[in-house]
Amino acid sequence: MKRVAARLLMLALPAAVILASCKGGGGQSNTFKIGVVSSFTGPQAAFGQAHKNGYTLALADLNAKGGVLGKPIELVYYDDQGRPDQAVQGVAKLVDQDHVPVILGAYTSENTRAMIPAVTQREVPLLIPTSVADNLMQTGSPWVFRVCQGSGNYAHAILDFLKHNGDPKTIAIIYENTNFGQSNDTAMREAAQQAGLTVVDEEAYQASSPDYKALLARVKAKNPDAIYFGSYLLDASTLMRQSAEVGLDPRYYTAAGTGFSAAEFPTKDKGAGAYAEYTISVSQWLPTAKWKGSKEFDEAFLKLTGTHPAYHAMEAYVTLAIAVAAIEKAGGANPVAIRDALRALWLPETPFGPIRFDEHGQNDHATLVTQIQDGQYKVVWPPDAAEAKPIVPTPPWNKRQK
Amino acid sequence: MDFFTTLQAVVNGVLTGALYALVGMGMALIFGVMRIVNFAHGTFMMLGMYATYVLFVQAHVVPYYSFPLVALGMYGLGYLIYMALLRPIHGQSDFMQILLTLGIGLAITDAIQLVFGADYHQINFPLLEKNLHLGSHITVNAPWVVSFGIALVTGGGLYFFVMHTMSGRAARAIAQNRYAAPLMGIHLHRVQAFWFGLGVSAAAVAGSLLLPVFYLYPGVGDQFTLKAFVIVVLGGMESIVGAAMAGVLLGVVESLTSLYWGNEWALAVDFAIFLLVLSLRPSGIFGRQKA
Amino acid sequence: MRRWQLALAGSGFVLSLLVPLVVHSDYQLQVLFRIYLFAALGLAWNLVGGYAGQLSLGHAAYFGAGAYGLALFTRAGMPLWAALVMLVGLAMLFALLIGGVSFRLRGPYFALATIAFAEVLHAAAKNLPRVTGGDVGVPVPALFHTHANRSFYLCAVLLTAATTAATFLISRSRFGYYLMAIREDQETALSVGVNAARTKLHALLVSAAFTALGGALYGSLFLFIVPDQVLSIDISNEIAIVAMLGGAGTLAGPMVGAAVLESASEIFKTIFQEAHLLIYGLLLIVVVLFLPEGIMGGVEAIVRRRK
Repeated sequence: MKRVAARLLMLALPAAVILASCKGGGGQSNTFKIGVVSSFTGPQAAFGQAHKNGYTLALADLNAKGGVLGKPIELVYYDDQGRPDQAVQGVAKLVDQDHVPVILGAYTSENTRAMIPAVTQREVPLLIPTSVADNLMQTGSPWVFRVCQGSGNYAHAILDFLKHNGDPKTIAIIYENTNFGQSNDTAMREAAQQAGLTVVDEEAYQASSPDYKALLARVKAKNPDAIYFGSYLLDASTLMRQSAEVGLDPRYYTAAGTGFSAAEFPTKDKGAGAYAEYTISVSQWLPTAKWKGSKEFDEAFLKLTGTHPAYHAMEAYVTLAIAVAAIEKAGGANPVAIRDALRALWLPETPFGPIRFDEHGQNDHATLVTQIQDGQYKVVWPPDAAEAKPIVPTPPWNKRQK
Repeated sequence: MDFFTTLQAVVNGVLTGALYALVGMGMALIFGVMRIVNFAHGTFMMLGMYATYVLFVQAHVVPYYSFPLVALGMYGLGYLIYMALLRPIHGQSDFMQILLTLGIGLAITDAIQLVFGADYHQINFPLLEKNLHLGSHITVNAPWVVSFGIALVTGGGLYFFVMHTMSGRAARAIAQNRYAAPLMGIHLHRVQAFWFGLGVSAAAVAGSLLLPVFYLYPGVGDQFTLKAFVIVVLGGMESIVGAAMAGVLLGVVESLTSLYWGNEWALAVDFAIFLLVLSLRPSGIFGRQKA
Repeated sequence: MRRWQLALAGSGFVLSLLVPLVVHSDYQLQVLFRIYLFAALGLAWNLVGGYAGQLSLGHAAYFGAGAYGLALFTRAGMPLWAALVMLVGLAMLFALLIGGVSFRLRGPYFALATIAFAEVLHAAAKNLPRVTGGDVGVPVPALFHTHANRSFYLCAVLLTAATTAATFLISRSRFGYYLMAIREDQETALSVGVNAARTKLHALLVSAAFTALGGALYGSLFLFIVPDQVLSIDISNEIAIVAMLGGAGTLAGPMVGAAVLESASEIFKTIFQEAHLLIYGLLLIVVVLFLPEGIMGGVEAIVRRRK
């Protein structure tokens, strides 16, 4: 008897899922659905939230203008919890259940990389707002489009800046052991060697440790001219505070964006405060960027959340706008047509700068080099975009004014 | 690496280790008295950090003054959780206790995210800018020194409590023989709830002290649960003195691993030592060898 | 299990194999794949955790050995069958190591040792990019090129069937009785001449082999893996939770646990959005409080009361 009950239970439950999941999907709806995968819970949830804010603002703007193809746009979110397997499950759900013709996401490079085979198999275009690892664009999949720049480009931008601003000879790379970090390490190692710099040290670290002083002491012993960080926000703050404590004084503190280009980083309450001063970083976007709409986005974001946006939110914002432009051009919900529309897309004026995808699906976005001066990000390179002169070399910690 | 660099790394390791020690002592208390492997331990530490954060932001009380209040509040929460959730499954298998603490951890972490958002927070006050110089080679950041002092006092207080008070004797009686203790007139559940609360509040105090030099997000405690496991095993599972020493040792080992090998290996070395100790001396480095 | 029950179980699996005729959605097949995969993993875990009563919280080690084994051995030029043999061997080697260290330990020591072992492997996979690809990840060969989701689903059903059969046979054998004797009272088992350490080790070897096959299947479905995906403590916990929640030491428990948890986590995500982990956590708490023997334990208790 009991086994019968068990059997019935075990057959009934999957059936329940199928029924439950059928209810949500399919059917005739009056909205145009677009799928979004990001990390809304788990360790990366703060960035998933930034994405969600960006999407929310874009959605409001676009729907105010009449949606797409005469229908209001609806975003279907899937929470990947920061886990790659869940991101893939998200692709399956969004495509097979909700029948979305295009997917935006994910946040981490790991998750985005895991999604690529899934979208390629299902032949649905994937628009990547934020993930920078180089291996995302090396799969050869024709369904992948990336709005942000990749880590290879970051390394070249920084090296170009260094070459024209004092030309250091040695560099040390400090990176967290994730796809994002390793990818930046590899990119910088290769680019530095080409540019004739000696990489004197490469230090991986376990993210969110309270104590990096020993690691920084190791770097100090190698005495590099420049340091290149691949770090998220909170480790960026910890690393800079502890660099001061250790007395690590390279001539250049440089970084691969992310933590070092977050709006919070130079602030006292949520970042490194004065310890962030003089750090040089690549940046994809700033609220002060010259592109039209940047300021409006900053204001709208401030109204929505009470804080200024980092570039993650802007990337989400513009990614949805790009998707909608492509759907408009494709004239329907056909994934192949949308992919072809993305290939041919040319948006000369967005708040994230001009948008155009190359043959690999990479948007040729102009990477900026910024330096924190008086607690503000200032664009210092390339010269045609610069708003301030770089302050180099970085003053040593004991010479800085408190 | 020269002598002073190594010495500096040891000093830093001891300072971090003092906080590990507090987390580990809390775990050892809970395990020693009620044999519960608490998978929500890091979650309670995280809750302590949020409580400290709220007190700082709303009432401008720095953690070094607010921690007793946090400890008291978390003690109450621990007591309630024991009475409401752990007492009913008293005597059930280890499996169910572990499942329960896993469930408590997940639920609390997500609840905190719903209330405070997933965003990262940190706090800032003038003391954080102060560095103390010991001689010309050793530098320590002032908040670490303060937290070390408080951890030392709190840990010492816990030890005194266990060894020299009535409820401490009751707890040790339960730890020795959970069946005989009630016959001696010890109220099993009240004593266990008391010690569970105390273990939880030890973790929360460690959270309070860590907050100024660290940051805060809902999942911040998870890594400390694993560290606490390592610490209690190295320390001999139920010995709180052992846990304290093991915590400091772990801090130093991590710091030296970072210095000589690489930060990314610190966690692996923690666990490798743990396995080594388990296979060679299962009662822990600091525990008493049992037959 | 009587003959008619055996027939019922058999027909259940045959029915499961026919599901793809009705269900065409890739998503639903993928959710079903997950249910059967975790049922198989839970059953494999159950040999050690349920029957022998040794709480393993480090099964990610064998799971990861399977997924990484498939990726790395085929990359080294091995044919598929050889890679499959090797990855099972690798997982069994890990089982031998961890068992050798930890089966002398009791209770929570064993559980913590298994966590530690899996975490050491996790860190090694992250930090040795030359061998494993590190966090950048490594591609896994596709086991099926056409009708992938359907094929993976069928494979998961077959794996579940195989683990069920193995569990059934073991639970009726002398070996199985030894295991249960150790769970109930290791001292007595020892005194009647059961070699406890060796018996437990054998159970772990079988468990690791099945878990590795599950890992290989999982890795191949995603075509690309990173350490945090297949070696993290989340995987270990999920495997153990599935079996414990369903009912440790019962044949149907892991299947029920997998069906409940995997479908719950999907449904909760749609309904509760950001609160889904809160609800999931509460579900665990409720099950522990009201069904302390797991779901199947609870069902059995109700049935017993009826009789």
